[in-house]
Amino acid sequence: MIIKILIVIFIGFAGGLTVGAGFVAFLVVLGIIPRLTQLSNTVNKIHSYEWAVVIGAVTGALATLRDPSFSLSPLFLIPLGFTGGIFIGMLAAALTEVLNVFPILAKRVGVHEKMIPLLMAIVIGKIFGSLFQWIYFVDR
Amino acid sequence: VWEVNVMENTVYIRMRNRIQANPDQPVFLKDVAQIIADETVISRLEKLKIYQITKEDKNMIVIDVMKIISFMKEAYGNIEVQTIGPAQTVIEVIYKKRGVSFPLFVLIWFLLFFGSALAIMNFHEDVSMQSVQQRIYTILTGKEVKKPLLFQIPYSIGLGLGMILFFNHIFKKRINEEPSPLEMEMFNYQQNIDQYVIMYENKENINKLHDY
Repeated sequence: MIIKILIVIFIGFAGGLTVGAGFVAFLVVLGIIPRLTQLSNTVNKIHSYEWAVVIGAVTGALATLRDPSFSLSPLFLIPLGFTGGIFIGMLAAALTEVLNVFPILAKRVGVHEKMIPLLMAIVIGKIFGSLFQWIYFVDR
Repeated sequence: VWEVNVMENTVYIRMRNRIQANPDQPVFLKDVAQIIADETVISRLEKLKIYQITKEDKNMIVIDVMKIISFMKEAYGNIEVQTIGPAQTVIEVIYKKRGVSFPLFVLIWFLLFFGSALAIMNFHEDVSMQSVQQRIYTILTGKEVKKPLLFQIPYSIGLGLGMILFFNHIFKKRINEEPSPLEMEMFNYQQNIDQYVIMYENKENINKLHDY
């Protein structure tokens, strides 16, 4: 019995270790934290940012596994949704597939001067697609 | 006396990485390289013609430093050439500036617009975003809703803001000189093209085995 429990603990721990390492590797590859430190000029605070990511991931894991309930006002969801959206937006922008489109458009199609409007096309497209999905698409 | 003589005859050249030129333009040494030399030779060296761009050339030409040295030796037998920096210059021939037509621009704009809209919707479906948001709503408020719009609308706006934040400097002050990810990507792309052209347009770099 003890052996079984120990094995389960070990397997759970091993799985968590792998997923956690993979998550951090994903963030590192996309370079969101360096980009944020570059924008805010806070390279010296990078360790706090690491902890923010770790604590955030653990909180999310606990919340999905334990299903707690807080009975708070729904208004708390607004900042949560907003910051979550910014994070996903940075993820989407950092994906190299998005970034790689632009040099090719600029060189091949010759739209060098119109880069900003085309960038905005992607940004507005994402906002539109997201709103369309939540407000209309999910009901169909 | 001998040493002074040697000093006078040494020419230092540094090839430029890439230059732009017009079609049919003659290319002189001063166009493709920086030169340091004795006053007596430098003015003549600068006007040394290296290459004539013709119609047959495509839009990329590579000038190897070895070719330059041989031209210089031909013109002045007694100079010693010291090269510094890159071993070749890439000449980009600029044909008439083609602006993109407005209908094509609109087409590309909507291509990107609907493409990214579709991509984000597929992403949301793929990761079950809706059910995660419903659970977050339930965890925080204790109530169950089908459409947690209070979460989803700020999320959608944040999505766009996050992308702008990543691409661009909203804080336009430019705290430091670092380039944005987009500028980096453009630079890497150009760098790769140049590397490729240097390898394959420059016949001197490749020595194939002859099949007999």
